[in-house]
Amino acid sequence: MTETTITPTKTIDECGKICPYPDVDTMTTLKKMNKGEILEVLIDYPLSVERIPRSAQKNGHKVLSVTQVDGPTHSIIIEVLGLK
Amino acid sequence: MTPIVSGLLVGVLFGFALQRGRFCMNSAFRDIILGRDFTLFKALAAAILVSMIGFSIMAMTGIITLAPKPLMWGGNIVGGLLFGVGMVLAGGCASGITYRTGEGMMGAVMAVLGFGLSAMMGATGVLNPILKSLQNTKIMTADDKPLTLANIAGLDLKITMLALAILIIVIWVVLAMRNKSSEQSFGGKSKSLGEAIFKKGWNWLPTGIVVGLIGILSFPLSAAAGRNYPLGVTGGWVNIFQSLIKWQAVVEEKIKVTALNWEGAEVLGIVLGALVAALIAGEFAIRAPEPKILLQTLAGGLLMGFGAVVSSGCNIGHILSGVPQLSIGSIVGGLSIVAGGWTMAYFMFIRPMNA
Repeated sequence: MTETTITPTKTIDECGKICPYPDVDTMTTLKKMNKGEILEVLIDYPLSVERIPRSAQKNGHKVLSVTQVDGPTHSIIIEVLGLK
Repeated sequence: MTPIVSGLLVGVLFGFALQRGRFCMNSAFRDIILGRDFTLFKALAAAILVSMIGFSIMAMTGIITLAPKPLMWGGNIVGGLLFGVGMVLAGGCASGITYRTGEGMMGAVMAVLGFGLSAMMGATGVLNPILKSLQNTKIMTADDKPLTLANIAGLDLKITMLALAILIIVIWVVLAMRNKSSEQSFGGKSKSLGEAIFKKGWNWLPTGIVVGLIGILSFPLSAAAGRNYPLGVTGGWVNIFQSLIKWQAVVEEKIKVTALNWEGAEVLGIVLGALVAALIAGEFAIRAPEPKILLQTLAGGLLMGFGAVVSSGCNIGHILSGVPQLSIGSIVGGLSIVAGGWTMAYFMFIRPMNA
């Protein structure tokens, strides 16, 4: 994937957190954001790297990318689309 | 094969599979009510069914003797509830915190320390009288056998296990074909087999099958080492802590404990296998949550360790190894773990999220 030019509206750092805080934080943040805004989640917990895109999609949002940043740390870019 | 080598071998395979499959029962159960995600629950169900078929065939061919745990309703219920509450606080079940120790997660390390300490306190320490009174609720069959779903209905255990597993699989396949859900995956589309095994997380079905197969492998190997039971975690940690703390009493034969037995080696293997898997996948890093959360995982571990010895089994001993043998004690213990977990998850995550 080429470098994205998308600038996130908001970034949350969930590195080091234990199960399921990264997921809960992401979902509560998405709920508070407006349609069309972009959320970036920085996360190093393998289970949530896979589960956050799944649940974001289930809630009607669009997952734009999941990229490895460094070691276990990933950046998940989500476009807010879901109904509130 | 010596018990240590055989235990380590099974443990390393198990730890590798747990890390690759992100297999954790705390998540498997909690995700059902938090986010309606059934991914890990399906992996768990697949693992139980594979083990159930394997155990029954091995029992029919005389390779193993089935060993369902007896029902001790007081211990099973109270211990299971404590364990369930504890695993939500700890952020992982007994096997979850064990494999995440290998990923370098300090929250899990704290939980393991709490788990070992309170399991020892229950098994041989100050909390033992409470454990004994709760476990003094044993109910056996008329001919003094552990209660199973088979013998309460007057059926043969091996055949019931096989028939039930096949029946559930058929129903599952039919239901799955009826409502096909499209599962989208992210990241690299075309991947080599090596990459799929060592770099990417496994899907739920291969995870479940591999975990089930490791359960099958563990039974005869553990039995050959004098412990007639498949995978376990609680007994392993108790053995490791006991060996470390009571070494002199062990060598002077004041207490009858094998310094590092099969299950202890298996648990060490889980940590090692997960470490190797995480290193290969580039998922290893020493990291810690904030201090308050570290205290929370320690408290969770303390509840889980005591709960597991009181219930005479953790999520692995009861749910992964006991449920396939249709033990009523393991079913009651397992359901209590789920009940404790759901209650705690509701108050910690679901209620605040909807507030």
